[in-house]
Amino acid sequence: MLILLASSCALYFFSLFKRPLLYAGLIIQTAYIVSRGLELGRLPLVGPHDTLVFLSASVAAFSIPFGFALKGHSRFHYGIAVTSSVFTAFALVSKQHNSLLPPVLRTLWFEAHVVLAFLSYALFGVAAVLGYLYLREKDSSFEGMQYKSIFIGYCLFSLSMIFGGIWAYLAWGSYWLWTPKELWTSILWIFYSLYLHARLRQWWMGRPLVILGIAGFGVVLFTYLGVSLLMKSSHSF
Amino acid sequence: MKALLKHLVEFFLSLRTAIWSLSILTIMLLAGAYIMPARQEFQSIHSAPLFIWLQEQPLSITWWLWLSIGILAVLTANTLVCSIESIIKKRKVTQWLLLISPQIIHIGFLFILLAHLLSATGSAQGMAVAREGSSFEIPGNTTFVIKAIDIQIDPKGYMTDWAVAVEYMMNNGKVLKDTIKPNSPSLQAGLNINVKDLQAFPEKAILLQFSKDPGAYWALVGGICFMIGVIILAVLKIKIER
Repeated sequence: MLILLASSCALYFFSLFKRPLLYAGLIIQTAYIVSRGLELGRLPLVGPHDTLVFLSASVAAFSIPFGFALKGHSRFHYGIAVTSSVFTAFALVSKQHNSLLPPVLRTLWFEAHVVLAFLSYALFGVAAVLGYLYLREKDSSFEGMQYKSIFIGYCLFSLSMIFGGIWAYLAWGSYWLWTPKELWTSILWIFYSLYLHARLRQWWMGRPLVILGIAGFGVVLFTYLGVSLLMKSSHSF
Repeated sequence: MKALLKHLVEFFLSLRTAIWSLSILTIMLLAGAYIMPARQEFQSIHSAPLFIWLQEQPLSITWWLWLSIGILAVLTANTLVCSIESIIKKRKVTQWLLLISPQIIHIGFLFILLAHLLSATGSAQGMAVAREGSSFEIPGNTTFVIKAIDIQIDPKGYMTDWAVAVEYMMNNGKVLKDTIKPNSPSLQAGLNINVKDLQAFPEKAILLQFSKDPGAYWALVGGICFMIGVIILAVLKIKIER
């Protein structure tokens, strides 16, 4: 089955030269996710391997409407192709979590919490690519699209946090636990709240706001990979 | 006095106050994210309500939490004043839902802060090892009894499921039955009674966790408000875009 994943990684990379290959890569990666779900008998979203696969597929999928709105802008496409292929390459070398899930993870609250979190991470990633393009080309439409991507990502991320809180109360008796992951998740949420409020002030418009949107994805990556790999918490890989 | 009051209202009405508060709060939490994993003292943070725990710890490791609480107080006042002003100023606009949805989000945020405040002053947690037949006295002159522990293990040795049958014996002789399962605690007398860990051999035993979290229901109310506000705002923005 890993051949499917390796193919999608290659297709994402070669879409740098032939754009439709990105869609082919997405279809194959979706097939990989579905087949893994069927094999495991659950949502394949536990551990670095499966979450990286889901993240890269989400980035590619969310890039489609933005790509249409940008009328197939080539640099945007390159940014997405590189992001998706890098995440897929990391997934290929990451450990698979194939064992049975502990009973506490077998709940819709957990599934909704994780799916929404990774969809929002993907939108923050697309926003970072759009921000980079604004800095390169000084076209204000990139800034507007970065805002849209972050706004929808923020909505999904907020829902993910709420579902996570409900799940934590049912599973561990408290909606809030003082662990590094919870703290970093709060930092991420406050950081994007700052972005959304800053956009209402003229002074922040343009470069400062776009840089904030790009920096946000750095916080996303540390919250997702850094904290899970380096620190001990209920979210450790 | 009047001038001071005017300055104060202007300060809390300013979007700049919100942006500065969110920036400083981010920096404080980043400092906390660096300090927290490095200090042993934070291992005991759940052992007492946050405000009591904070008073017992050296300021050198908790300064970021104190400052964060201060900033959150400023943000609370800022959110309240701005939301009230926004509703008064724009009450005659045609797209009323577009005006009210960010305020619903703000109300949700304030309820979540209230929940944290209540939890920080009155939460409590206790653990106990129990076996079938063990009993505990809980608030309301009630005896909590473990009736049966059922643990299902597959041939490879993985725990696939579990359930703990419990009973509450009230002082008026009434008996309430309940079952604790994964993600399904027993909620009684303001307590959340959960199973933290289980052991099947050599004899069935469980690690019980008794939690009191007075902020939990307010957090749920806040979460629901936030969710409603966010969904309305997102749908309206997408509609306008089309």
